[in-house]
Amino acid sequence: MRKMRLLAALAVSTALSTGAALAGPEVVEGPGFMPECFAPWSADTKYFQWEAKEPPYKIALVNGFVGNIWRIQMIQTAKAFAEQDEIAPLIEEFKIVSTGTDAAAQLGAIEDFINQGYDAIITIAVSPTGFDRVIRLADRNNVVLVPFDNVLDTDKVMMVNEDQRAMGEMSANWLIEHVGNSGKILEVRGVPGNSVDRDRHEAFREIMEADGNDFEIIEVVGNWAPGDSQKVTADAISVHGQFDGIYTQGGTNGSVQALMDAGHPFVPVAGEAENGYRKQIAKHSDEGLKGLSFGQSPGLVAISMKAAIEALQGNKLPQLISVPVPVVDYTSIKDGENFWSELPDDFFTPNEFPPCGVNITAPEIMAKTKDDVK
Amino acid sequence: MKTLRLILTQNLGLILAVVLFVALYSIYVALHPNWGLNVVLQNGNETLALIFVGMAQTMAVLVGGLDLSVGPLMTLTNCFGSHVMAGTGGSVVAGVVACLALGSACGCLNGCIIVYGRIQPIIATLATGAIYIGLALLLRPTPGGAIDGDLAWAFTNDINELGMTYGWWGDLGLFGKIPAQPIFLALVVVLVWAPFKRSATGRGAYAIGSNAHAAYMSGVRIDRSKIAAFTLAGFFAACAGVYLTMQMGSGNADAPQAAEYTLRSIATVVIGGTSLYGGSGGVIGTIFGALVLRSISFIFRVVPGDSTFGFVASPLLQPFFEGLILLFAVSLGAARVFRVRNRLSLFT
Repeated sequence: MRKMRLLAALAVSTALSTGAALAGPEVVEGPGFMPECFAPWSADTKYFQWEAKEPPYKIALVNGFVGNIWRIQMIQTAKAFAEQDEIAPLIEEFKIVSTGTDAAAQLGAIEDFINQGYDAIITIAVSPTGFDRVIRLADRNNVVLVPFDNVLDTDKVMMVNEDQRAMGEMSANWLIEHVGNSGKILEVRGVPGNSVDRDRHEAFREIMEADGNDFEIIEVVGNWAPGDSQKVTADAISVHGQFDGIYTQGGTNGSVQALMDAGHPFVPVAGEAENGYRKQIAKHSDEGLKGLSFGQSPGLVAISMKAAIEALQGNKLPQLISVPVPVVDYTSIKDGENFWSELPDDFFTPNEFPPCGVNITAPEIMAKTKDDVK
Repeated sequence: MKTLRLILTQNLGLILAVVLFVALYSIYVALHPNWGLNVVLQNGNETLALIFVGMAQTMAVLVGGLDLSVGPLMTLTNCFGSHVMAGTGGSVVAGVVACLALGSACGCLNGCIIVYGRIQPIIATLATGAIYIGLALLLRPTPGGAIDGDLAWAFTNDINELGMTYGWWGDLGLFGKIPAQPIFLALVVVLVWAPFKRSATGRGAYAIGSNAHAAYMSGVRIDRSKIAAFTLAGFFAACAGVYLTMQMGSGNADAPQAAEYTLRSIATVVIGGTSLYGGSGGVIGTIFGALVLRSISFIFRVVPGDSTFGFVASPLLQPFFEGLILLFAVSLGAARVFRVRNRLSLFT
């Protein structure tokens, strides 16, 4: 039996290596399918089209690191999306693995799913480079590979993300609007060496340091975590005295908490989309906490799954798909709609994206987690 | 009969690792819908760097220490390799040699600090490991570097692809389906490990781990054996770095990944039956230790979600079950304690 299976596998792989060497997506002209959902990154973004396959599909999600709220929320969203009425009939099997921070293990897992005959693989890359081999293999076997969130430095594969530079830009513009063109600003950065941190920081600085502005910017590292952000903000306040505005890349509720603990007056803040931060904005905006809250949505996973499913059906899609940054400020914040005052602090509020049919809200996801624990 | 029993008892750790690997891998093979040599190839790609790092750790453990710099050293040679292996033809070969030389030199430095500085290996390598990661960050502040795509493809594939990519040979049939990774591994074991183990220096390394005082009194050249063991550890770590460079086609000074490899290398050594007290075991066991470790995560990908055991593959529970199986595997190795007549003998 084993021998038969081996021979069969050999025959199949020989056929693949000789016959289908030129497969992969075809580069085509736009416009693409459902542009309100799958917007191209820029005007020169190219479009991909795969040969249509009959549903249902086998889809795998190869996550890297697991162990923070964002990743857990992302995994729960993926599971919930796969079970939705309009998606479930299109999916034969949906498998999720987390491979840790080991690049070789992640590449191996992706290759394994290609070898198992999966139709599409969604992934958050642990490294922006090094995926050439699996991209080649995916193309050979007509597998749709979709990195999202932490994307790759290549244009050979379809990817989904929000514009990290736009978050830095809107934060800078927000502070200039509410602080003026000069003053002392605290910038709390994310995990060092990460492309997301780099993009959010550089775009922010470009606008803040443009001609006509005269800011003194104090830079600290808060690792996108509320605890770290709180500590470094407290340290910065004790060293530098008073700030006129704050830009925190992540763990924003920690920064605001430090502000309150130090008795520092409320100032304009630009930050992420933690529920806790939005609760703080709602409570203290009339005392001067003029907050802007943008978010990298864990719902990106659902948009990526949807992109994979559409690609498998032969629809034209942009190579780099831009998902608009969900953003609210102290004037547009609303309990029960874009934050939830009765729910815990540490989940990410933007989760749904109606133009793509992703209607799973953050409270639904967090409720699901609780059920699983029971 | 008596010799057979002797061989069995002396290699109990190795045998346990092999049995465990066969058991776990059989589950994977049975559940995999398209298992074949191309899957073996992919498994090899995933495991080879870990095997080499585990072999590096084995050297340190044999002489009774732990080397916390094996992961960082792999990362350093990866970043260095992404610069020096970036050309084509002969310069790549020179680059590989340079990487291996760098790794050996760093390993030798570890050994010298331990021997002449009289510092515990675990502390000395904690410090040098930080230095190696620092150097790696200096070489690659952000991930990058481009190894020739064809080279990366050809040397992490099977014999057929190697030949066909460069037009050296055509389809060699079944022979051509042999993956490259076991060949690389066999070369390193036969050309480097086997001669070392048989040499006086290598036997000295075992003697030190077993009982350093007795070894000294018997005239073993302790310093030389220790430095040689750590140099070889550096060489094996560099092998991992070189392979990772070819596999990724680039360099990445990824500190969390380096730490993960260091920790996992210790697990591979323990599962492979090398005693943490030193003096017994070897890299062959470690190879199977690494295979066991990887096989656990292989299984998560093939367990059908709707089966009775589907809960094992629940994405948020995977680390838990991986740890559980790991604990079981490590405990098997420790079972020898139950058979010891006099517990004092464990400490000699």
